[in-house]
Amino acid sequence: MLLGPGIAWYLGIAAFLFGIGALGVLVRRNPLIVLLSLEIMLNGGNLALIAFARHAGNGAGQIFALAVMAVAASEVCVGLGLVVAINRRRLALDVDELSELRG
Amino acid sequence: MILGVSAGGGLVWAIWVIAGFACLASGVAVVSFSNPFFSALALIGNLGSLAVLYLLLSAEFVAAAQVLVYAGAVMVMFLFVIAYVGPRTETPWAGGPSWQTIGAALAAGSIFLEIIVAIGLKAGGRLKHSEQVHGSYGTPAWIGRLFLTDHLLAFEITSIVLLVAAVGGVILGSHAKRAG
Amino acid sequence: MITGAWLCLFSPLAGTVLITLAGGRISRRTAAWISTLSVFVAFAGALWSFFGLEAKSNRSGYLDTAWTWLQGGSFKVGLSIFVDPLSTMMMLIVAGVGALIVLYSIGYMEGDDEERRYFAYMSLFVFSMLLLVEGGNLLLLLAGWGLVGLSSYLLIGFWHERPTAVAAAKKAFVMNAVGDTTMALAFFVLILHSGSLEFGNVFDTATTLSPTAVNLVALGLLGGAAAKSAQIPLHTWLPDAMEGPTPVSALIHAATMVTAGVYLIARTHPIFEQARTVELVAAGMGALTLLVAGLIALVQTDIKRVIAYSTMSQIGYMFLGAGVGAYAGGMFHLMTHAFFKALLFMAAGVIIHALAGEQDIRKMRGIGTLMPWTKWAFLAGALALVGLPPFSGFFSKDAIIAAALHDHWYGVILALAGLAGAFLTGLYTFRLYFIVFPGSPSAFVREHHHAHEGREGPRTMLVPVGILGVLAVAGGWIQFSPFWHPVTTWLEPAARTLGVAEPTNTQEAIASIAAVLLGLAGVGVAYALYGRSEPVAVRVPASVRRALEHKLYFDEAYDALFYRPAAALADWLRSDFEEPVVLASGSDLGETALDIGRGTGRLQTGLLRTYVFFLGTGMAIVAVVFLIVK
Repeated sequence: MLLGPGIAWYLGIAAFLFGIGALGVLVRRNPLIVLLSLEIMLNGGNLALIAFARHAGNGAGQIFALAVMAVAASEVCVGLGLVVAINRRRLALDVDELSELRG
Repeated sequence: MILGVSAGGGLVWAIWVIAGFACLASGVAVVSFSNPFFSALALIGNLGSLAVLYLLLSAEFVAAAQVLVYAGAVMVMFLFVIAYVGPRTETPWAGGPSWQTIGAALAAGSIFLEIIVAIGLKAGGRLKHSEQVHGSYGTPAWIGRLFLTDHLLAFEITSIVLLVAAVGGVILGSHAKRAG
Repeated sequence: MITGAWLCLFSPLAGTVLITLAGGRISRRTAAWISTLSVFVAFAGALWSFFGLEAKSNRSGYLDTAWTWLQGGSFKVGLSIFVDPLSTMMMLIVAGVGALIVLYSIGYMEGDDEERRYFAYMSLFVFSMLLLVEGGNLLLLLAGWGLVGLSSYLLIGFWHERPTAVAAAKKAFVMNAVGDTTMALAFFVLILHSGSLEFGNVFDTATTLSPTAVNLVALGLLGGAAAKSAQIPLHTWLPDAMEGPTPVSALIHAATMVTAGVYLIARTHPIFEQARTVELVAAGMGALTLLVAGLIALVQTDIKRVIAYSTMSQIGYMFLGAGVGAYAGGMFHLMTHAFFKALLFMAAGVIIHALAGEQDIRKMRGIGTLMPWTKWAFLAGALALVGLPPFSGFFSKDAIIAAALHDHWYGVILALAGLAGAFLTGLYTFRLYFIVFPGSPSAFVREHHHAHEGREGPRTMLVPVGILGVLAVAGGWIQFSPFWHPVTTWLEPAARTLGVAEPTNTQEAIASIAAVLLGLAGVGVAYALYGRSEPVAVRVPASVRRALEHKLYFDEAYDALFYRPAAALADWLRSDFEEPVVLASGSDLGETALDIGRGTGRLQTGLLRTYVFFLGTGMAIVAVVFLIVK
């Protein structure tokens, strides 16, 4: 028996987190903060997964959430490696400046 | 469930409000601070509040993993790099909103609304009543059993992803040979 | 007989192919002899074919098909030859005179850098002409027709470094193309109505065609004949065609190609007989041409051009004969004309060769003393041309005039034109003779004349001249209607003379006597004007002289009527259509593609945020669409 707010409320929070994370990715220029915003988005997704798992009473959502967590960790690892490499080359830490893949 | 029936709906509501508010506030904080150090700290707060919400949803193991892995390992890594890179401040909100900011806000806002609308339209009625769950729901033993039976593939693939990330991290972190 | 005809047809082709394939590997001499031999073999084949046909009792014509060349639905055309009296006669003339002329060319063209090309073309021409006369159906005739036009173009423009030669070749080809078009249109009408182009089918259905159709067909055929035979109004190419080497003028523009028109009328006479008006138009055209050409020849100063206009005039006679229905008469004159005209050209060629290329008669005065053999040969040809007995021209020309006399009242007018033409012929021919040959040699002649090893020219040139001289004298004795007429009898199965064109003996006598007297009068006047040491002065109005010198302004008229508008149209099309539309569309297409590429390239900003933004927006839109649709 679920006490407290219904699942819908949790989903609302998850949606908000997702949106705010998207805003962060789009607006911020420091790649570190972009990565952080990305984390927020992922967490929003996780929350939604857990909520639905609880709603359906089955464990797939939680397993999925754990997998997402692992993937997020890996992605942060690689992303931070990139940031370190950029910094080592004395390039500006600004996604607007890092535009060599221009068409 | 840890927070048993004895605690009652009221307490759960209170905890939910606090944790939810903390979650939202820290999310906004992450996006808006100019100093990345503070953003990272805000994220740690966000992760913590999320862990509380997970607990409310009977996902104990996930909550524990969130705190240990995410807030513990990943964020520490973040803080290491932020410290290594040094102080960098940008002022994203200076000079008024540019067209890019407005566009971004619109896009993000529309995503948010769409998710609400979609879920509301499609599953509005059904979300009222959740299933009853058994006692071992969300416990580590239960998760473990699921990992090794129904979702073995996900488990194995996740391990490969972690391996790849580790290799990538090492490559990116190694000193590149200078040409010439 | 049939084998002889095939041999006749393909021997010159083999010669051409051989010379072309051998290229530079054979000497120029060898190429020359290959070509000559190929035509002599063709003549042998023609003889074989002729005697074979003569031996048969039924001479209405034998069709031999090698294989089906073209087939479209029920329309079939075979690669076939038709051996009948008319075609064998033409084969003998073409191959015989052709062989002599190719032999003559060996001497004339000796030393030319591109001798091999010349002889390849000559063999090609002989093949084409034989295809034309031997073709078993109208389509092969048309094929031969086009090929002779091509050979003529190639040979007129043989000395291609000369712009005048190139222009003349183009002119000849384009005018012939006009004729080819009308012929092709005529054939289309025939196919439409009779479904085939075989001689037998076409001639049988000729009677069933509606008057409009048959008139159209006859007009189309007449157009082709007029272009090929240089009759007015499609005659302006022939004088210019004298830019080619003299043997070419002799063979193509005297003896054979230009006579193809007459052959065509004789061959397709069943069609013309159904369109009697058109046939008479042909006769009228011939009469007009013979007069106009004769007049223009009076003021020409180039020896070859005089002979060219004479050719035009004589073919006018042939058209006249064929037009009134005296096909045998026209063909007989074709034969004698081939002899004496080729003779005249070749004699002129000997002179030109001896004077190293000079063709102006005013400079050649008195060459007769240095070149007596040529003088006698030329004289023989000239007398045959004028039509004095016992030379060959007498027998053939008078027959035509007599036939015309018999044919209604308009025939009389045509006959009168023919008689006036006889006077003119005497006049211009002997004007030419008296200016060039008699008297003491001019300064130019003394300076430039060079003999060839003690003789007047190389033996290869003199021998054919001699043979043709004999033929010019005696060739006419083969027919003297009404006393003996083997030619008419021979041609009867193929081209029966129309009843209206069979003159009575009185008419024959009148025609002959009148023609001879007028011819002699012409010679006399020429002597008075040019032969005496103190020539009689004749005042000719300056405007008339100028008009004749400008060939009655035909060239100028055609230039204004056809060439200028066509050139203007072409220029306009080029500047206002080709360049802005066709060429520009090509480059515009390219530039547009480039612009689109550059535009889309600008999407790749390299900025992470733009990419994510597009990603997010796209996702939002897709979600909305998905919600709405589902």
